[in-house]
Amino acid sequence: MALLIPLRRSAAVALLAAAAAALPVGAQTLTQDEALALAFPGADIDRRTAYLDDAQMERARSLAGGSVAIESGIVTYYVARKDGHDVGVAYFDPHRVRTLPEVLMFIVGRDGRIRRTEVVRFSEPPEYRPPDGWLGLFEGRALDDELSTKGAIPNLTGATLTALAATGAARRILALHAVLAPLDP
Amino acid sequence: MSIRRIALILAGASLLPISTASAQEPDSARVAELERRIDAVTRELERLRLGRDVVVADTALPGFGPAASKVYRVNQGVSIGGYGEFLYENFAGTRENGATAATSDRFDALRAILYVGYKFNDRLLFNSEIEVEHADEIFLEFAYIDYLLNENVGIRGGMLLAPLGLVNELHEPPVYLGTERSVTENRIIPTTWRENGVGLFGSNDAVAFRIYLMNSLDGAGFNATGLRGGRQKGSKALADDMGVAARFDYIGTLGLTVGGSVYSGETAHDRELDGDPVGGRTTVWDLHFDYKVRGWDLRALVAGATVSDAAALNRLNGLTGVDGVGESMLGWYVQGGYDVLRGVDTGHQLIPYVRYERVDTQREVTFGAAANPANDLTVTSLGVAWKPVPQVVWKAGYQIHTNEALTGLDQWNVQLGWLF
Repeated sequence: MALLIPLRRSAAVALLAAAAAALPVGAQTLTQDEALALAFPGADIDRRTAYLDDAQMERARSLAGGSVAIESGIVTYYVARKDGHDVGVAYFDPHRVRTLPEVLMFIVGRDGRIRRTEVVRFSEPPEYRPPDGWLGLFEGRALDDELSTKGAIPNLTGATLTALAATGAARRILALHAVLAPLDP
Repeated sequence: MSIRRIALILAGASLLPISTASAQEPDSARVAELERRIDAVTRELERLRLGRDVVVADTALPGFGPAASKVYRVNQGVSIGGYGEFLYENFAGTRENGATAATSDRFDALRAILYVGYKFNDRLLFNSEIEVEHADEIFLEFAYIDYLLNENVGIRGGMLLAPLGLVNELHEPPVYLGTERSVTENRIIPTTWRENGVGLFGSNDAVAFRIYLMNSLDGAGFNATGLRGGRQKGSKALADDMGVAARFDYIGTLGLTVGGSVYSGETAHDRELDGDPVGGRTTVWDLHFDYKVRGWDLRALVAGATVSDAAALNRLNGLTGVDGVGESMLGWYVQGGYDVLRGVDTGHQLIPYVRYERVDTQREVTFGAAANPANDLTVTSLGVAWKPVPQVVWKAGYQIHTNEALTGLDQWNVQLGWLF
């Protein structure tokens, strides 16, 4: 294939530089404010912090399952209110994927089930990022045996650690939610 | 300093006496001040946990709008991962035809790999795989720079994994069943096939694609058993001929990957025979299916290759008779496994599996040459994979090898693999 000359490194770098100048920035990270606005459009957001005692921590760990770490008893969450009623609560869960952190936002509804999941921070290479369709599997999930990579959440081929981290985070948040019961009855 | 330690310091600070003067203030004022301090501490704690770029409100940097400013606040840093495998192979004492075999058993530190990546910003990152094979051989298996044009498409340049088949790009032992990679994805798709190049990659929720321009295989390394010897592995690679590799997958159903890939390029790299240039165009293709659902792990793949100017390549390579490279090759396999512990309350997985494979690397040979019947083979693999955690696997399996020359040699294997 004589017409195709080898691309030298300098040429590739020049190509990248040209593309950088010509194309818009594609942001991967949401801020907390953006994520909350996305989840609860038009709602009032009330930031709250809970301080779990030992018994509450023990119960949360028991609910989440032995393989899910719950290390901090200081839990900040965001309750959304509309028309004078609590409509849901947002939790931001930071965790490690391989060596770099990810932050997922989980929205939990009044029924104690996950209503929405958003990636607000992802630092690993993009091929490890959980696809939106896969994150959608958490929607409607309660804290039960099916909320597992052995249950209703399939592993991500080539991104096993991403799947494990996100599923563990979902179990952790639902366990904390069950202990805190933060929404008005 | 850990977040826990910082939190303790901040919490301690918040509980210090507000001031001598404020101690004389009404209780309500003191409580309000304490609440303000605790709120400040929890905000700081949250900022440390989640990251400044998450918690800080969107604000514009000078000369940029808020969106354009984001690239300056993105996370940076080094990412490290890895995988590896040890493989024990125990060969039968007799061949399929009853002849005595003298193949020695082996216990190999087959692979130990470190992935090292660096994220420059949200659009530009480096990723690499540095591999030690057999405990004493070092390879660069890939090393590339990705530039994301947008959330769905990017440019990739460097040493790239050819995007063919199911194993070449995803070859960590916990990801695939079998103590050894399939023969098809060893001889026809020469896993791990990596060359220097540049290309585009992209995906959305439904489809994924990659298309690369790479230095071509070197036909001087082809032989009767396939294309494996043609890999240049990025080492002072001949680049008179370039090849194009492309892949397209449907990924719209969770757990399912179904698609195809193709590679084509001339492989003689300007060599001549009797004063005439030799092309040696080699085309490799595959169709693949991978479905993981509710404990099932199902795979099927068919791959083929054609080599033009095979007679000239054989002469250049000094290959005669049954030793010549085939003009046409074909291999396929089907594989299935099921996690029998799926319904058990444990994090362990225990997956019995079976793979049936047919491969012929001399399906068609050059005029006047003959095929070696030993290269028309069947491998049936039976085994079990135990994963105490999803990233670690022990596999034990038995392989039944048969071929048209009746020289197949069975073996049983044990593999220990990991990824992190």
